Amino acid sequence: MNQNNFTSLRQLKKVFFDERTTRGFISFLSDRAKVIAPCKKGENSYSFEYIQNPDEVVFDYPRTIQPLKKFFLPPRETLFNFNTRENSFSEPDIESEDRIFFGVHAYELQGLLRLDHCFEEGHPEYNYLRRRENTLFIGISYTPDDWHFSRSVGIEIEKLEGFCLYFEPLDSGFLVFIVNEAGKNLVELFGKGAEIDNDENFALVEKNFRVKIKFHHNRLPQVFENVYYSKVWEEISRKCLGCGTCNLLCPTCYCFDVRDEIELDATTGKRERFWDGCMLNSFALVAGGENFRDPLSSRTRHRLHRKFKYLADSAGDLFCVGCGRCSKYCPAKINIIDIINDLIGDFAGQQKRVLI
Amino acid sequence: MSKPKVAFFDFASCEGCQLNKLNLENSLLSILELVDIVEFREAMDDRADEYDIAFVEGSISTPTCVERIHDIRRRSKILVALGACAVQGGINALRNSQPAEWVKEVVYGDDKYLFPSIPVQPVSAVVKVDYEVRGCPMSTPEFLHILKSLILGRKPEIFDHAVCVECKSSENECVLETGMFCLGPVTRAGCGAVCPENGQYCSGCRGYVSNINTDGALEMLAENGLSRLEAVKRLRLFCSSELVELDGVK
Repeated sequence: MNQNNFTSLRQLKKVFFDERTTRGFISFLSDRAKVIAPCKKGENSYSFEYIQNPDEVVFDYPRTIQPLKKFFLPPRETLFNFNTRENSFSEPDIESEDRIFFGVHAYELQGLLRLDHCFEEGHPEYNYLRRRENTLFIGISYTPDDWHFSRSVGIEIEKLEGFCLYFEPLDSGFLVFIVNEAGKNLVELFGKGAEIDNDENFALVEKNFRVKIKFHHNRLPQVFENVYYSKVWEEISRKCLGCGTCNLLCPTCYCFDVRDEIELDATTGKRERFWDGCMLNSFALVAGGENFRDPLSSRTRHRLHRKFKYLADSAGDLFCVGCGRCSKYCPAKINIIDIINDLIGDFAGQQKRVLI
Repeated sequence: MSKPKVAFFDFASCEGCQLNKLNLENSLLSILELVDIVEFREAMDDRADEYDIAFVEGSISTPTCVERIHDIRRRSKILVALGACAVQGGINALRNSQPAEWVKEVVYGDDKYLFPSIPVQPVSAVVKVDYEVRGCPMSTPEFLHILKSLILGRKPEIFDHAVCVECKSSENECVLETGMFCLGPVTRAGCGAVCPENGQYCSGCRGYVSNINTDGALEMLAENGLSRLEAVKRLRLFCSSELVELDGVK
């Protein structure tokens, strides 16, 4: 199967950039638009940041702390300002500036495409969609670590959907695959880099995922249809601390809460929205003090059903993209792969009983 | 409409929470536009008989404290507990785990009989507390939110989720990634994750989320290399009166 992953790449036109040229290319992009790329953050972490200097960009990184979501649905944003004395309100302007996202992994962009679905369907969400305008994405390959499992949810490392260019590292630099017209224009305008003949041999290194889900991803919604009452949920809740890290780092979690904050003049104020998550205490708390998802087991169950069943049914795609953040950053070391494989075990057991 | 009468009181504490209010220099004048401060030992000499809002700092640790807090409660319409000592008993409550006589002797020596003392309790153990501002010292944005809400007659919205939420929202590097332990996953947010944001672990000064999974927390701390004794001590540092059922330290 892995041999075929590269067939889509092989058909594309490509050029070669060595590392210096690549950094020069980022400089070139910065003259045209705001460039966002992965940078080092702290001792062992990475984050997507606006780039001032191309040398800051890290090409080989496992994953950033936050997904790209933060650029489109900020952790905290003002929806409108109000004045209670004048009984008036005003919405802040949302600028739609040209932005180029460099060095994006395939699962990352897939996460964003899933968010697009959520914010476009039904009542379109103006703020998100406005920020989504005028954006270009340049992909890069990565080496899966102990937490990546995107192949198990149907997203190959080389999935090109949504990218204009795709960077595949070689020993001495990058093969730059031209995915669409926008990418072609960028490379032509830049005018550097050696064109490579399509017949020329290049050795692409096949990369394996270290962890995987036992079932094909097509079968996961069916599994989730049958494990609502599984014991697995209870078992996880013994370890789970309900901190919400999995929600807050998930590329496809988009829930938010809204709160009015008034200034000390007791007249003006703002309505703010900020990220919320279904693992948190007050998420399902309603008037009268009733919490309809009080036990942590029912919260984890809800979170995973959102990813593998509810949204998958309505959107057609699984809403887990296999980035592995929820497992990598879980303080209780709960691993989503273990949960899913345990559920699959449960489901397989049920099927066996039916057969007998 | 006359301005609400506000008073500040302190019990067993370092008075840091009160000082923290005086640090709100940019907002102090605006606050004074909204309320009449009628009693505030740290800042003025005046006294009053009744209060619309009483802010209470510190824990209840002597028989006199009990009398005083009852008296304050009787004269206040709304009572708000300020800071870890008032809300959870705080650091002071650590002494409850030691023999009372021994503690008195260490502190007062031969004069120990002059200082009657009772086990340290949070304010809510003695009188009804309407709202809480957590933290050591108390978080000033939360204090302002409660003050503004009460003045406007709204119910303050207080978070009951973990520090992790604020930490992840600001995309801080997780201190667990740097080899530290952290109580952020079970500690109540509202501080803006100020310690992890500055590379320091969360020591749980704001008390825990209402549904803390104590066993899970101990397991997490064990994973981070803490012995059970150490883990229990860490968890009880600010919250010994909330986590009395934890064995291991007495």
